[in-house]
Amino acid sequence: MGIEAVNERVRRPLGWALLVSSVVYAWAVVVAPIDSVQGVIQKILYVHPPLAYGAYLGFVFTAVGGGIYLWREREEWDRFAVAGAEVGIVFCTLMMVTGPIWARGTWGRWWSWDPRLTVTMLLWFVYLAYLVLRSFTDPGPRTARFAAVYGIVGILLVPLNYYVIEIFDKRSMHPENLERGSLGAGMGFPFLMGNVTFFLAFLYLVSLRFEVETRRARAALAAAGEVP
Amino acid sequence: MSYVVAAYAITVVTLAVYGAHLQRELRRLRDGRER
Repeated sequence: MGIEAVNERVRRPLGWALLVSSVVYAWAVVVAPIDSVQGVIQKILYVHPPLAYGAYLGFVFTAVGGGIYLWREREEWDRFAVAGAEVGIVFCTLMMVTGPIWARGTWGRWWSWDPRLTVTMLLWFVYLAYLVLRSFTDPGPRTARFAAVYGIVGILLVPLNYYVIEIFDKRSMHPENLERGSLGAGMGFPFLMGNVTFFLAFLYLVSLRFEVETRRARAALAAAGEVP
Repeated sequence: MSYVVAAYAITVVTLAVYGAHLQRELRRLRDGRER
């Protein structure tokens, strides 16, 4: 079964799972305990890191799709890469909006040129440029090959972004990466539900975006007089 | 509290609008194909 057939089959169950998960997630966030140090603003924890993981996953999809495209030269993997980049950028943008809101409430300022924040902005620019460059160039194997290489090189920023706090020997305003047991009592379940819900939302949006890209490509072929 | 509400509201509304945009685009492409 090809990637297109799998995509059409999984969307409906994904949508239902997302709906159920969203309800449980909303309830879990509302009843989650108030942090004794930060107060209620700590509840942004249940949205900000899940958005970051979604952004990482989107860019990983772009690199993996690009890699398989270079290997197999099948167009659907190029479309998969585009879907990953666009949904990844949406998640990355939201991560960069929710982060400063949290920072304003805890650090007293919206932004700091801290290593984690700086690399995040670089990551955002790299994949935004991927989408902008693609929108300016004619579709075809040459564009797809260039985009694949670009997407694969860009993915190096994801592990750098994740480990940058350790690389800078924890001289960062941004908190360290979460580890087992680093959340307070009662905070694990809402955090888990945040990750599950945003993961399902991510997959649902990638599925939609992939089909849009596929149908656009077929419509362009039909308009050019070729059999789609 | 308003910061928390803002963070969640911006996230939910943005994802919902983006999803609705994709659904609308998909419907348009499907209709165009059927015509």
